[in-house]
Amino acid sequence: MSLPDPQFNIQGKLHHFIDLDGLDRKLLIEILDTAEGFAGVNDRTVKKVPLLRGKTVANLFFENSTRTRTAFELAAKRLSADILNVDLVTSSTNKGESLLDTLHVLEALQCDMFIVRHGDSGAAHFIARHVSPNINIINGGDGQHSHPTQGMLDMFTIRRHKGDFGNLCVVIIGDIKHSRVARSDISALVKLGAGEVRVVGPRTLIPADVESLGVTVYPSLDTALAGADVIMGLRLQKERMLNATVPSSSEFYRTYGLSPERLALASPDALVMHPGPTNRGVEIAGSVADGRQSVILEQVNFGIAVRMAVMSIVMGNSESLRHGELSA
Amino acid sequence: MTSQDTCIIIHGLTWAGSDLPCTVVLHDGIVTSVSTDPVDVQQLVPDADVGALVIDARGKLALPGMTDLYARLREPGLTRKGTIASETAAALAAGFTRVVCSPDTQPAIDSVATVELVHHRAAAARGARVIPMGALTVGLDGEQLSELATLQQAGCPVAGQADRPLESTNVLFSAMEYAASFDLPLFMTARDAQLGAGGCAHTGAIATRLGLPGIPVAAETVALARLLELCRETGCRLHVSRISSARSVQMMESAKQDALPVTCDVGLHHLFFTDEHVAGYDSLFHSAVPFRSRRDREALRLGVASGIIDAICTDHAPHDRDARLAPFPATEAGLSAYDWAIPLILQLPGVLQLTQAQVFEKFTAAPERIIDGSARSGLVAGQVADFFLLAENARIEQRAVVQSMAGMNHPLNVHSAASLGLDTLRGKVTHVFSQRRMHDLSKSKPEVPAGSEDGGW
Repeated sequence: MSLPDPQFNIQGKLHHFIDLDGLDRKLLIEILDTAEGFAGVNDRTVKKVPLLRGKTVANLFFENSTRTRTAFELAAKRLSADILNVDLVTSSTNKGESLLDTLHVLEALQCDMFIVRHGDSGAAHFIARHVSPNINIINGGDGQHSHPTQGMLDMFTIRRHKGDFGNLCVVIIGDIKHSRVARSDISALVKLGAGEVRVVGPRTLIPADVESLGVTVYPSLDTALAGADVIMGLRLQKERMLNATVPSSSEFYRTYGLSPERLALASPDALVMHPGPTNRGVEIAGSVADGRQSVILEQVNFGIAVRMAVMSIVMGNSESLRHGELSA
Repeated sequence: MTSQDTCIIIHGLTWAGSDLPCTVVLHDGIVTSVSTDPVDVQQLVPDADVGALVIDARGKLALPGMTDLYARLREPGLTRKGTIASETAAALAAGFTRVVCSPDTQPAIDSVATVELVHHRAAAARGARVIPMGALTVGLDGEQLSELATLQQAGCPVAGQADRPLESTNVLFSAMEYAASFDLPLFMTARDAQLGAGGCAHTGAIATRLGLPGIPVAAETVALARLLELCRETGCRLHVSRISSARSVQMMESAKQDALPVTCDVGLHHLFFTDEHVAGYDSLFHSAVPFRSRRDREALRLGVASGIIDAICTDHAPHDRDARLAPFPATEAGLSAYDWAIPLILQLPGVLQLTQAQVFEKFTAAPERIIDGSARSGLVAGQVADFFLLAENARIEQRAVVQSMAGMNHPLNVHSAASLGLDTLRGKVTHVFSQRRMHDLSKSKPEVPAGSEDGGW
């Protein structure tokens, strides 16, 4: 009925990493296990492995980003790839060049992998369907749809601390509606068999029929936090105040902010997570973000290992496909 | 296309709704005799005038030329997407002999000059007859009324705002009062100017999963309520163009129970597709009036069957290839329709649980009443022939459809009928008789359109 999932190559192996929706549990576990191996690399004095030596990775960011772009850059470098940062926010696309023309130019520069961030939901799907088949696409965030490497690094962080997903109660707070991180987290948590995924926020920030994703909607944060093992905050964008979805940041903090008092309602060893950048005093109290239960900086650190895992898996699949074709 | 200065004898055709094969004789495009007497066939055919064209229409269905209540012909101004010539030829090949042309051209159809240009190009094109819809406001900007009475005299029997929002209730109220003074029907799309603005898919589970900005049902119903109440107040003849939700069907039902002068239509594709087709970011299903839930589709089908929805339009929106080459939210909305209209229409009797005659009524008498207040009669001696011959059971190979038009942005150009939940595609128009001309489409060879080798969109 709909277009085929572009993420897989003709051998059924992961070729692009775009959207956790199309991936099965086994593949998610494989990514997490591979990332475990790379986490060791990051603790070594020589933080480099030669897996992507001779490969060129291009960071194509059509939307501003420092954190994600830097994490991908570091991941590529630790895999010994050459990395090209292309700033497209101020570049050709603003001169009226079409997205596809921009891509074809970059293709002509013989890159092997594109890391793409774009403001439109579905942009990574579109790009994957239109680039030449020898290029791998990694989605660095598309509109409000998906941020799959963030989703996987969140899973990695949770697994590190909790071991298993089976009995976990995970609470995601705030702007679910506009959050690609929330969608990727929900998708991964549901696939990995999390005990319960709760979303909580004002109705203006909860998307329609969100239950269809496999979550339970809680109107009150206090109720949602009872028994929580993992608490995930989300960044509340400033423009939400302008378009009448939230009256003010202080009211948001009063009703849905993760304060120390509220944190006490959760399990004593509950993890506090946030994809960053945090708005202290809006969605999370500074003392909670910096507190004992916070793993926010670990998330950043693990993000490198997870991105190394994803990049090496898709590149490895392409290599084996190429060799298969040669021997055939 | 054949100039019709001779006699044409068509024998063996079955007129829609009757069982008997009949023979029709045309002189200069005018029906001179219609006979179901088999003896006549024997006599007429061999004794035909020298030079008379004899068409063996045995096994073919004859249907009155259809009227499309909403199509975009893209000229003037958007000719990279289509031209009056290309789109009216495509309309004709789909059995539509009259087409209401949306005013969202560049410039909009808001002046006599543009109306005349449209008429002039349409006459030269010799395709379907074009009925220009006047732009309700200058440049469709929603602020200043166009010279509606002048446009009406210049040949715009209806006026409307296309898919552009009309934010000011004050302007809308005035427009409806003013139009009522000249008994000018307004074709209005129910779409709130702010709610759902920037949206590109029905608000629901699919848009939520895909992270697509949604268009809630309320964006339609709020606007519809405003239109209906202003219709009640002003007495303006209101035609609501392309409703998409179950709730709108209920609202139309109650407006009709109140005897308001209202009619409405639904887009052909909305009777087949839902928001589930959008999954996978398939921009071929990006429609300005969004495809909604299965429940909505069911209500639309029942609405057509019960007559609450008066007519079906194609909502034809041809696009150039580039309009689709972008991430889903950045693509231009709309599906082309004429390339697959006939095979889809022929599936409607099963989908709507109506007879074939009842289905075609939604494309003929019903739209004609909405535009003119009266329906044309069928095949009557003394009148200009306006009908087409249909090889009802001709199977259509999906890759071999004749593409006379510029836009080919229809899902069936990419997806198989079965994958879209459709039955086998059948039905080909072989001859069209309209405006005293005969168009013989039976010999046209399937053309492979330029750019099709890349698998379409």
